[in-house]
Amino acid sequence: MRILLAEDEKEMSNALVAILKHNNYSVDAVYNGADALDYGLSENYDVIILDIMMPKMNGIEVLEKLRLNGIHTPILMLTAKSQIEDRIHGLDKGADDYLSKPFAMGELLARIRAMSRRRSEFTPNLIKVGNISLNKENYELSSDNASLRLGNKEFQMMEMLMTNPKRLISTEQFMERIWGYDAEAEINVVWVYISYLRRKLESLDANIKIKAVRGAGYSLEEGE
Amino acid sequence: MQQSKYDIICDSKSPEHEFYNEAYVLLEGAIIEVLSRLDIIRKYRAIKNYKDPIEHCKARIKSADSMKEKLRSRKLDVTVDNALTEIYDAAGIRVVCTFLDDIYWVVDMLKNQQDIQVIDEKDYIRHPKTNGYRSYHMILKVPIHLEDGIHMVFCELQIRTIAMDCWASLEHQLKYKKSIPNQEMIVGELKGCADEIASTDLNFQAIWDMIEEIQLNWED
Repeated sequence: MRILLAEDEKEMSNALVAILKHNNYSVDAVYNGADALDYGLSENYDVIILDIMMPKMNGIEVLEKLRLNGIHTPILMLTAKSQIEDRIHGLDKGADDYLSKPFAMGELLARIRAMSRRRSEFTPNLIKVGNISLNKENYELSSDNASLRLGNKEFQMMEMLMTNPKRLISTEQFMERIWGYDAEAEINVVWVYISYLRRKLESLDANIKIKAVRGAGYSLEEGE
Repeated sequence: MQQSKYDIICDSKSPEHEFYNEAYVLLEGAIIEVLSRLDIIRKYRAIKNYKDPIEHCKARIKSADSMKEKLRSRKLDVTVDNALTEIYDAAGIRVVCTFLDDIYWVVDMLKNQQDIQVIDEKDYIRHPKTNGYRSYHMILKVPIHLEDGIHMVFCELQIRTIAMDCWASLEHQLKYKKSIPNQEMIVGELKGCADEIASTDLNFQAIWDMIEEIQLNWED
């Protein structure tokens, strides 16, 4: 899951980024409205979080322009407690949810989960393929015998594979989705993480496995 | 008592000597036997420049107190004979390995030793305990040659990685802090740590395998 966070207060932003990453999201942080619009237009995000008071362009304007450009990504607005008009205005202009500052981190995380569920069809917090399940709340990959806790990038990769079983996902898709455009990581890193996940599936006696298609990518297949 | 080169935790004039009496030598013998077999194989591998699969070993003879307690809880008479034949962990060895696969290497190697009998084994790595504990347990019967013949002595082995050993030691210290509330939450958190450590162990193994593979391709 990739999140765009637009929040101009540096300290607030840093804290949010740290917590979101800790909860296994990939996050891009921008600090003004103009950048928020540029990044948001890339359609590369699962959730966008917009602060309302921002330099260059305020959050409501960014929201409006994104929707005008046909971007349907779920958007959560961060508002100050007093700005009731902003909330109404924001929701009317196409925001999916709002949260007034100060807020509890747990609530933000739950709202992000709720918004990402609403996207297209309902995707539950527990994905199951074959004898393996992936828990989106505690990042546990488990079989009947044992469970393992996945790291941030491993989790995102497994989530992509398990929500699209049997579908070929290219190395570039993993790269873009998980490491982001401006990542310094080499493309080989995808192969490293695939190796981690294969080892883990094997240790759980999984009846699913990650198949490599030479030069094309990877897919999750059932059976031996 | 003569100092053995193997570090077995026990004082010479200890209650253990008093309780086990001459059988103490058998228990010590079983430990020395297994440790020296592991040692010889490690030395041989070192000469051939192979990777050492073992990080370190630790051994102990079960304290007289906990042995007596165990016998009583099993409703057995508190005798040395019962301690050696009904309880299997009077002699205990912990083998701490570097990587996950090394554990299975140690297991297979011991199974291949013809005069050692494997009585029981439990793979708590593939089937972790509910608290998250992971290790490979083996009960062995080890031959000890005395002047009147061969005595088969039980010995319990716990084989695990450095990371599993780290978790087990810390969990051991934390779980006895019973006086605090939120016991359930702590147990859950510790299990989470175990699952994270297990995940890291698998990554270490995957990295090792990758390096091996890359080196092999270079040599070709």
